[in-house]
Amino acid sequence: MNIKYRILALCIVLLGSVSLFGQQVTDLRLNEMLVVNDSNYVDEYGRHVPWIEIFNTSYNQVNIAGCYLTDDTTGLSVGDASRWYRIPTTDPTTWIPQRSSKVFFLDNSPLYGTYHTNIDPNTSANHYVALINSNGKTLIDIFVYPEALLTSAQSYGCYDDGINTKVENGKKVKNMGMLPYATPGSVNKVQVGATKSEHLQKSDPHGIGLAVISISVVFAALIMIFLMLKIFGYTATRKDRKAKKEQAADVPAATANVPANEVGPTGEELAAITLALHLFFNSQHDEESEIITIDMPSKHYSPWSQKNLVMKKVVRRR
Amino acid sequence: MKEFFIEGLQQFFNYSGFANCEWGNLIMIVVGLIFITLAITKEYEPMLLIPIGFGIILGNIPFTDGLQVGVYENGSVLNYLYFGVLKGVYPPLIFLGIGAMTDFSALISNPKLILIGAAAQCGIFAAYAASLALGFTPMEAGAIGIIGGADGPTAIFISSKLAPSLMGAIAISAYSYMALVPVIQPPIMRLLTTPKERLIRMRPPRAVSHREKVMFPLLCILLTAFLVPTGLPLLGMLFFGNLLKESSVTKRLANTASNALIDIVTILIGLTVGCSTQASTFLKVESILIFVLGAFSFVIATACGVLFVKLFNLFLKEGNKINPLIGNSGVSAVPDSARVSNVEGLKYDKTNFLLMHAMGPNVAGVIGSAVAAGILLSFLY
Repeated sequence: MNIKYRILALCIVLLGSVSLFGQQVTDLRLNEMLVVNDSNYVDEYGRHVPWIEIFNTSYNQVNIAGCYLTDDTTGLSVGDASRWYRIPTTDPTTWIPQRSSKVFFLDNSPLYGTYHTNIDPNTSANHYVALINSNGKTLIDIFVYPEALLTSAQSYGCYDDGINTKVENGKKVKNMGMLPYATPGSVNKVQVGATKSEHLQKSDPHGIGLAVISISVVFAALIMIFLMLKIFGYTATRKDRKAKKEQAADVPAATANVPANEVGPTGEELAAITLALHLFFNSQHDEESEIITIDMPSKHYSPWSQKNLVMKKVVRRR
Repeated sequence: MKEFFIEGLQQFFNYSGFANCEWGNLIMIVVGLIFITLAITKEYEPMLLIPIGFGIILGNIPFTDGLQVGVYENGSVLNYLYFGVLKGVYPPLIFLGIGAMTDFSALISNPKLILIGAAAQCGIFAAYAASLALGFTPMEAGAIGIIGGADGPTAIFISSKLAPSLMGAIAISAYSYMALVPVIQPPIMRLLTTPKERLIRMRPPRAVSHREKVMFPLLCILLTAFLVPTGLPLLGMLFFGNLLKESSVTKRLANTASNALIDIVTILIGLTVGCSTQASTFLKVESILIFVLGAFSFVIATACGVLFVKLFNLFLKEGNKINPLIGNSGVSAVPDSARVSNVEGLKYDKTNFLLMHAMGPNVAGVIGSAVAAGILLSFLY
């Protein structure tokens, strides 16, 4: 019984690890492809050959080893991988870092190395390349390319890395097309032209424009707060003003003619009286502290500085 | 055996700091010691200068590369702590603490003082233009200019985004000038004011209700963040901290933000910024230029604040006038610049206490510099 449970637990762990691996591999996407490679990416033998890029869309590194690349998915349902290119499992470079890509050559030369496949788009009957999971049955991604790619010097791929469809006006549309720049091994969406900062340097070389705009915005922001606080103040003191008005209306005519400074003590006078009373009440004391000392107590008291606590006590014999 | 012994000792010596020491490291260690001395003997911003000074010493202890001990070495403890500076995590947390400590009553009771905080931000943009003229790129110029805001966390936040390579010099420059506020500002204030103006007595501020204090952070964040969303991390945390304080129902949170949290982050930011000033990356001509530009931006910011008050007084009735000695407080070195206003005011009239009045533009300067930082980010990042 105990052994059965152990076997079951082992199976669950193995199953979990397989599914985990599968889940990570499913984050891979066929991202970009170039067939007419006249002056673009060169393989390690110095040849210009067609290539395809695989992009890892996840934020974890993924090992592509064991997966298949093919231009003919016949046999997918039965897991017949005999005609597919299997990515070697012995090569440690098959790990694709997060949000990065690997380039595979479609040169029909699988003996040239890990990244050389048995696919040649120029002789292929199908216009697609498929990425299949190591189990030989799960299709991870299929990259369908137009026939025009076979004669075009441009590459074909996702406009945004790893995203082959997008939603426009509520409809799912293709997010792929001929790309202006072939970018093997790097992001498809390249920044063309000047950056924000470079553009600013050209249009405002002395920084005066930016200074004027920025100061205006700072003033605008703080003026808005100023106006808000003004309204605040007005509404907050409205009650006080109302009360004062009512009080003024209640004051008899005789006292109304009395000068303001004779009506009552001013704020400063009240403060002086309060201070005097405070001093008077707090300065009276009959009892002294009865502590006579010439030493100031230590400012930095710490039990570490207490001799009786840190010294070893002498054992007394009785 | 003898050879092994000698080789072992030689190897150990090669790993030690003595073998790898360069003049630059020694110079920076001396700078660190000066910072610590100034903090202890003169009490110039000790909370900042001691961690920074000690960080400078730590960052300039020579070592062999690859030991994973340096601040720029991936995986080292200091590198992990430095992550908070590099990614702009610490500055918003410091703003949270500042918000939880700041009383905006002076500003709420006398709202016109907020405009002084705006005027003092001119220093940022003057330094930006000057940096461009000296050949810095717009992104670097933006990061250098923010020193004029006199706000250390904002300077670190902006430089981490716009010019991470200059962050050490910018942060050290900003904090140094903040510490030197009592030295830099008074001569400019005296130069730009007349003895009569220095005697102006301002009307005492009115009492501010609890409702006003609670509404202030809420409305301010809505106004400023909608206008400059790029300033959200700083402004959001500042006003959030203030709401924690003023709501009066989250005392524990406000207490943590204004005590334990800000203390922890100040220690980490000071130490790691100090560590980032390794001689190899810090001792350059650019660093000297940054220090010069920082001083220039401080001077311009102070002068603009004072001159703006003088201009403003032309439109104010007698009795409502503002003492131009509080103009310097528009730079957001809280509360040092407000204290300078008070001290200068007392020199000319021993009963004219300007501290509460100066706190208004001082906290307005914090808001102003965060807004200015947001604008720089939206233009340059």
